[in-house]
Amino acid sequence: MLEVRDLHLSFGGIKALQGVGFTARAGEITGVIGPNGAGKTSLFNAISGFYAPSRGQVLLDGEDITKAPPDRRAALGIARTFQNIALFRGMTVLDNIKLGGHTRLRSGIWSALGYFGTAQREELAFRAEIEERVIDFLEIDHIRKLPITMLPYGLQKRVELARALAMRPKVLLLDEPVAGMNREETGDMARFILDVQQEFGTTILLVEHDMHMVMDICARIVVLNFGHQIAEGSPAEVSATPAVIEAYLGQAV
Amino acid sequence: MGQFIQFALNGLLAGTIYSLIAVGIVSVYKATRVVNFAHGYLIMFGAYFYYTFAVLLPGLEWAPGWLAKWEPSWLLAARAEAEMFSPRATVLDWLSNLPRIVLGILGSILACAVLGRVIERALMRPMIGQSAFAMIMITVGLVSVLSGAKGLIWTADAAFVPHIAPNAPIRFELFGSMVFLFGADLVNAAIAVILFSGIVLWVRYSRGGVAIRATAEDQQTAYSMGISVPAVFGHAWVLAATTGAIAGAILATRNGVSPSLGLFGFSVLAIVLMGGLDSYVGVFIAALAVGVLEAMAQWQLGGEWAEVVPYIAVLVVILIRPHGLLGQKEVERI
Amino acid sequence: MINGNLKASYAADERILDNPYRRGFVFGAAALAAALPFVANDYIILVAAQMGIMLIAVIGLNVVIGYTGLLSLGHAAFIAIGAYAVPLLHRLFAAWGLPEGVMPLLAIPLAVAVAALVGLVVGLPSLRVKGLYLAVATLSANFIVIFLIELDAMAPFTGGFNGINTPEANILGWRLDSQREMFALIAGLGFATILLVQNLFRTRVGRAFIAIRERDYSAEVLGISLLRYKLLSFAVSAACCGLAGALFAYFYARILPEQFELALSLQLVAALIVGGMGRTMGPVFGVVIIVMVPELLKYSFGAIAGGSADVAALRAPVQEIVFGALIILFLMFEPLGIAQIVDRWLRSLNRWPFARG
Repeated sequence: MLEVRDLHLSFGGIKALQGVGFTARAGEITGVIGPNGAGKTSLFNAISGFYAPSRGQVLLDGEDITKAPPDRRAALGIARTFQNIALFRGMTVLDNIKLGGHTRLRSGIWSALGYFGTAQREELAFRAEIEERVIDFLEIDHIRKLPITMLPYGLQKRVELARALAMRPKVLLLDEPVAGMNREETGDMARFILDVQQEFGTTILLVEHDMHMVMDICARIVVLNFGHQIAEGSPAEVSATPAVIEAYLGQAV
Repeated sequence: MGQFIQFALNGLLAGTIYSLIAVGIVSVYKATRVVNFAHGYLIMFGAYFYYTFAVLLPGLEWAPGWLAKWEPSWLLAARAEAEMFSPRATVLDWLSNLPRIVLGILGSILACAVLGRVIERALMRPMIGQSAFAMIMITVGLVSVLSGAKGLIWTADAAFVPHIAPNAPIRFELFGSMVFLFGADLVNAAIAVILFSGIVLWVRYSRGGVAIRATAEDQQTAYSMGISVPAVFGHAWVLAATTGAIAGAILATRNGVSPSLGLFGFSVLAIVLMGGLDSYVGVFIAALAVGVLEAMAQWQLGGEWAEVVPYIAVLVVILIRPHGLLGQKEVERI
Repeated sequence: MINGNLKASYAADERILDNPYRRGFVFGAAALAAALPFVANDYIILVAAQMGIMLIAVIGLNVVIGYTGLLSLGHAAFIAIGAYAVPLLHRLFAAWGLPEGVMPLLAIPLAVAVAALVGLVVGLPSLRVKGLYLAVATLSANFIVIFLIELDAMAPFTGGFNGINTPEANILGWRLDSQREMFALIAGLGFATILLVQNLFRTRVGRAFIAIRERDYSAEVLGISLLRYKLLSFAVSAACCGLAGALFAYFYARILPEQFELALSLQLVAALIVGGMGRTMGPVFGVVIIVMVPELLKYSFGAIAGGSADVAALRAPVQEIVFGALIILFLMFEPLGIAQIVDRWLRSLNRWPFARG
């Protein structure tokens, strides 16, 4: 369970977030929506620890992690994907996914140098696990040895999801998982996200512009506008809120 | 106290020369985002060019006599009247050297400009759009090439070259203690400061300068706004090479021409990073500070300590202020 | 990627020598190195030993520049530290009355450890600044280390400008008093270094290095502590250079501070760029080229100059120009180095005669 309390974030004079607070309930998919510049990605960056909020807290399972650096938060179980794909482009799909296991593997410098023994056992067990749990699950076994640069955009997005899954996260932050995808690819991705939630019980927080998808798969929705949180609730409640209709859906509906 | 003022002044004068070397590194960085590791070797070439045009060339058999030593009758007469080592005598000595000094400086500027142009055309321009790492490493390779080329062209080591200005000793009182300086050092410092501020003003207000700043901000946007990025690269390199030629000539008169001049580039690189790569003001302050620190180290610890001062200083500054004294922190968008 | 290279288990897929070319090359090289002390003449042994020492250092440099993406122009400093540690430790051991036969067994690991520790300190700026600042910080460290070695106050320990005589290695009574015997030690440790560093890159530690090179914020989000792994990378690479330095000290009778100046750092970088950054075989190819260039020049200048001292004096500058030109030409035309060229050949060889390219 991820909780955000009264989060304030500013860059110089620009107030990116002003008093955002909500809870992403355990095992549910929570959507964050809002027009461009509403502060959605800033919110993600504050949750994953890149930006330090000027006020407010981020809590994971009740533990305050506001001050923790990004790598510490990852170790505690927060995984994320990025809006404009942040895969390691020079590596293969398999190596990218293996990197997701960094926090779960234990071998240090000495056993790594020696390899044979603990490091080898651990690596092989991990390899078997990601083959089954991640690569087969997301149907990317045919591309596992390809370098990222050779993959089309849609598959890159899926590999980034795979890398996050290899972390076995408690909370998964997805920043626009279907941006730039066609309808078929969007459908595939939505199915994978639902599968992840159902199969592994992962708590998911996602930012997305595709309204149909958000309304379809999210249990709860948080609406941001100019850094303010203007609504929170089920899809039906949110789409009935006048402020939301005015700020966002007003043009669409 | 008297010693302190004396060493501090020496340090400030040396610092201005560092700032003149630094301006070449900063200008190329501003325009092209390339840190030129080979700048010191450009300067070494400037010094050797000065040596070639001011010493070797006038010394050739077919060179006119007045080039090596200009001695019209009125000068000889005045020289005979002047007292040995008097300021008047040093000025007259300088006058008779003037033709070869002028030839040396002009020749050095021209030759360095050509060299800078050639480097930019042959090595930098084909790499536009490539990673900064590759371009920087190319300048590292250039260090080796220039250093070797020097060895092939000029075999003589440590030679004497004429001072750019009359080198009269000057004594005066400052804060109640006597200070002793050389005229040439003062003129060198003045040249350095004038060139430095001239370049800063040029980059700030002229058309060409604005083009450089725009290119620094965003190469692609600058290109699409009609600024010729390759031309900007060229200007920046020629600017660096010509200031380097003058700095080289000055260094040659101060330290003699020798291959170790190339190493100045590395200490100045340290100074540039201390000041903050993209800040002329920060670099100027850092250059003066390092000059003074070096003089103090020389005074208190001995001459050999002076050479590591910039390197120790840059490590300390980087650990405390990673982007230099006045450098801008780049905010990364994620 | 080599076609038709199929595996039946994950263990087989995770092997380093996962295709016949690699197996052939590695076993062939090992056999050659084993045979060399028995068949080669003194000159070949000398060149091969130089390559071995250089290779260990460049493997270390590859960890930090090639895999972690941190630019260092000062790794000669770590070689200097490893080299100077050997005579100093021997002197200390002699004072303690240790038998000669165990001295190298203690001195080599300690030299490596000291170099790694200094590497940690020099790597500190890499936490706060990227790229270029680090290049200048390491360059500065190189100047400072050489300065300290040459300092008058240190002369009783380091010999100052004049250098210091180094002891010969005596391993449990086996006196390595010929270059031939030293080569055996260098080759053995060289292969061990390659194996250890390769192992690193099939575990989380090596992957973390590469992740930092590729995209540091993305690495952080996966739980990789930049602080920890950047320092670790520096320490590993400095340790390799420390080992190279220790072997250098045992191999030659005397070491001089000027041997570890910036020129050596640039040579290491040149070897890495020419061979191929971030590639296993990169250091191997690069070192062969960088060591062979001076030898070829020596040979050809000897042929041209005969006895003329004037022409012979031009060899050093020509060598500098060739090193610089190699860096520049490879960066401009084949930035991934010889490793990439060889890969291309092997790929087309593997497909022949069915397809080209």
